[in-house]
Amino acid sequence: MTILEADAVSYAFPGGIAALSELSLTIRRGRRLAILGPNGAGKTTLLLHLNGTLRPHSGRVLLNGTPAGYSRARLTAWRRRVGLVLQDADDQLFAASVFEDVSFGPLNLGLDAPQARERVNAALAALRIGGLADRPTHMLSGGEKKRVAIAGALAMRPDVLLLDEPSAGLDHAACADLLSVLRDLSAGGTTLVFTTHDVDLAYSLADEVALFNGGRVIVHGPAESVLADGEALAAAHLHPPLLLELGLKARAFGWLAAGEPLPRKPRDMLDLLDSVGGRGPARG
Amino acid sequence: MARGSAMTMSPVDRVAHLNRWRHRPLPEKSLLTFGMLGLAISLPPFPAAVLVGAAMTMAALVGARVPVRVWLGCALAPAGFMLTGAMALVVQFDGHGFSLSPAGLAAAGGLIARSLAGLACLLFLALTTPATDLMAGLRRLGVPAEIVEIALLMYRFIFLIAGEAMAMDAAQAARLGHATHWRRLRSLGLLLASLLPRAFDRARRLETGLAARGWEGEMRVLRDPPALSYPVLALVVAAELLTAAAGIWLS
Repeated sequence: MTILEADAVSYAFPGGIAALSELSLTIRRGRRLAILGPNGAGKTTLLLHLNGTLRPHSGRVLLNGTPAGYSRARLTAWRRRVGLVLQDADDQLFAASVFEDVSFGPLNLGLDAPQARERVNAALAALRIGGLADRPTHMLSGGEKKRVAIAGALAMRPDVLLLDEPSAGLDHAACADLLSVLRDLSAGGTTLVFTTHDVDLAYSLADEVALFNGGRVIVHGPAESVLADGEALAAAHLHPPLLLELGLKARAFGWLAAGEPLPRKPRDMLDLLDSVGGRGPARG
Repeated sequence: MARGSAMTMSPVDRVAHLNRWRHRPLPEKSLLTFGMLGLAISLPPFPAAVLVGAAMTMAALVGARVPVRVWLGCALAPAGFMLTGAMALVVQFDGHGFSLSPAGLAAAGGLIARSLAGLACLLFLALTTPATDLMAGLRRLGVPAEIVEIALLMYRFIFLIAGEAMAMDAAQAARLGHATHWRRLRSLGLLLASLLPRAFDRARRLETGLAARGWEGEMRVLRDPPALSYPVLALVVAAELLTAAAGIWLS
């Protein structure tokens, strides 16, 4: 079921440079969609359209099948359902402490203090940062800031969470932690939409990929098929993830049964290789 | 991405957040600070100001465990300023030349004692209480929300902008932007010129981020100030009465 949709959306920056040209994209409930494209292609601009920050010059955005409105009341209702996490968490954190910062959204929803408190605690627990509640926001590491920013959006209990380059600036461990948190959120029913230029990140987290280039979505489909489409990826100056290529090779060699899922984590791939290696060389 | 938050965080801010009395309620700390300050100003400086100065220095260093190095670092500049300022009272000009003034010497002694006591009081508050707590306190005292919010945002941005400035400065130095005095000046100009649009960009992105969380012009957050302890308040008042009594008795 479609929850959010961009229909022939065009947008140009004040200088007249086109960012989106007749872009169409449908986002289905419960999915993990990666908007994949090279840097500077306008992915952020697209996200800002999906929560109503930017208004298309032509085309429209539909929320649950209804064209979205830009009045104050409609925007409020929109943002209640669609949360946004910016690339640089420093752009989002403003309050003195983590707890205060996360409470900002719930209070803006008009919740009273006990309800807001419950939302904040639940969001901090979901991001596994309950221990940071009293920490001042400028005394956090990059990974912690990112999680606090996500908790701030999550505390509003949105149906859709938009994340701009969620892994940007995070080291490997922080990124792995973040991915596991995002998988939990997805398992809990939140629809995830994230932008990235990292094919490996897209492959490890997304179940759908929309390939974005030249201001429009050029291919949109299941992650395994879009990310294996070398030609389309090359058009966007990208290449298939190594893990996917190895998985397809393994399938071609008959190491994986036809219905078996491809390994999505390096660990799974290594386990597969180990199991095959144990059986001796398999030349097919 | 941490944007050097640890690097740009001032020692004052760090100590204000990490000292032992960080979570004591603001009214307790401000009653102590301003009560003692009042005593230092209103009673004869010897010995009241000396007592206040010693008590508040001990409160900061021993009570709140503020590191001596940080305390001294904060005290030295204003103390130096007071000492040189008081020099003007010590020296008199009588038409023939400069000479020491005995009356001025006494006045300068009192002035220095009082200012150092005042300094110890304010340092105690500044080093035990984060700036954001002070702003929340101002809000409760009736300062308009808009002013407090702007002050809060400015405070938050100081660290970000300072971090960006430091990163740009390091980048300039790496490309020999500081090789000569002339070039250093030129680099500084370039840095300041590019800091302004960056600050504007950041402000715009902050607005986007706040709007995404339903901001409609008022920055409300959940904050529960720690509960006031009446025994502690009584203790503070007792300490002040004791200082006042000793100050009057011994003068």
